[in-house]
Amino acid sequence: MQGINTQAAPSASVVLPHYIFAAFSFLVLTVLIFASGNSFIGHYFSPRLLAITHTGTLGWGSMIIFGAMYQLIPAILQIKLFNEILAKITFCIMALGIILLVYSFWIFDTGLPMQAGASLTFVAIVLFCVNIFFTIRKIKNWTLEADYILTSTLWLFLTAAIGLFMTFNFRKVFLEESHLLYLKIHAHVGFIGWFLLLIIGVASKLIPMFLMAHGLNKRKLSISFYMINIGLICLLVYWYLFTDSLLTWIFIIPIVIGIFLFLSYLLQAYNNRLKKGLDIGLKHSLIAFLIVLLSLASGIAACFESKINQDFLSQIILIYGTSILLGFISGLILGQTYKTLPFIVWLHKYKKLLGKQQTPLPKELYSEKIASWQLITYIIASVIFITGIFVSNKTTITFGGFFLMISAVLYNINVFKILFHQTNPRQ
Amino acid sequence: MNTFGDANSNEIRIYDILKTVLDPELGINIIDLGLIYEISFSKETGIKIIMTLTTEGCPMGDAIDTEIKEKLKQGFGGFHVSLEVIWEPQWTAERISHEGRIALGIE
Repeated sequence: MQGINTQAAPSASVVLPHYIFAAFSFLVLTVLIFASGNSFIGHYFSPRLLAITHTGTLGWGSMIIFGAMYQLIPAILQIKLFNEILAKITFCIMALGIILLVYSFWIFDTGLPMQAGASLTFVAIVLFCVNIFFTIRKIKNWTLEADYILTSTLWLFLTAAIGLFMTFNFRKVFLEESHLLYLKIHAHVGFIGWFLLLIIGVASKLIPMFLMAHGLNKRKLSISFYMINIGLICLLVYWYLFTDSLLTWIFIIPIVIGIFLFLSYLLQAYNNRLKKGLDIGLKHSLIAFLIVLLSLASGIAACFESKINQDFLSQIILIYGTSILLGFISGLILGQTYKTLPFIVWLHKYKKLLGKQQTPLPKELYSEKIASWQLITYIIASVIFITGIFVSNKTTITFGGFFLMISAVLYNINVFKILFHQTNPRQ
Repeated sequence: MNTFGDANSNEIRIYDILKTVLDPELGINIIDLGLIYEISFSKETGIKIIMTLTTEGCPMGDAIDTEIKEKLKQGFGGFHVSLEVIWEPQWTAERISHEGRIALGIE
């Protein structure tokens, strides 16, 4: 076919292991949360929260994003993935690294397991960055999506590098400033630089496509790109040089403006949409974009830490982190799984039968009913869990964790239903 | 550009075949979606389809391409099938048929 780059998608064996590992990690994440109610009451810098956060950000979030990017970059940017074998090696190293890292955080063994886990994860992330860099280099017509993807990859590298230094610093102190400062920098480079920029770059292409929305103002995304990057750089330099947070609110202004420009772009897509009914994937995504407002509110409140009681500050920071990881990132991934995974599996199973026999639609590969219950339990879990942190009540937090676990079980059932789908052409 | 009004019988057959090709994401056929710009057939050059997609870089492009070619190969064995995707003129909602609009919930 002239005009589109056919046969660009990588083989399913590159992409699917990422989805399997991520789905299982999400389940483990919810079990760890359910078993750690107390950890969401005290200070945010605790071994269990480190284990939970890294299960979420690496095992769940980054792993599924790696797989999705290998699949989507060829489609979005019209190029073939640089090296599929490298992607498979990256997956194996990353999986081993994450398991070691999370285990060592959970038992807080700062010895070999933690350093080996962090080193393996770092190597895997470097290999991922290399693969993406050499893939993107082949683009003939540079796009804004490519800007977002490339920049987010660079921020991911920085996140991993800081994380690696921190784990070695646990063993033998060589960094000048406190761990809390590096943790703050590490977390924000990861959340804003890696996750947020990548999500904006990919979602700004996919969401309007799924909604069938056209005539959107892409200039908003362009301004958003510069606002977020400049804001993040200024914020990091300020934190590192001044090691206080008094003026943090000034440097987050461009980031907040950038996020609102992106949300306004999505709102325009929603209003211009031709596809009126929202499927389960888009409903999940919509909720994720609403939850980001809570992340913004709690993040802005945390900027004024000197004026807030320390216990309350810890609660606000926990709500901030939880709403980003379990709300924004997880909500979006839960939704987009239903938009990407069925199609990937469907293409893999039915490509040779297309045109020869009638085939099911990708959305028929999973149970809509299970997906709906997953969404309902996820919403209930989010409300109860955030409330529990806000009122510092362990029972409420555990109750929220329980619903989250139910949601993760339902998600896993559907993911494995898709993965083990048996080819069944309609007669 | 063929408006289908002056189509020969083979082109009408091609049109009918394309009406059975669904966009996998939407479950609506590509004719009702207005993705087909031109259909031409001659015994000398074979079948030529000029079409578009709702969005540039649509991941469904590969699947639609495969299904069109396979179905046309079955219906017109021996003839060359050439498929060209163009982005100008850009696809707009006005191209969706009445049936397509009902399926999308617009009407």
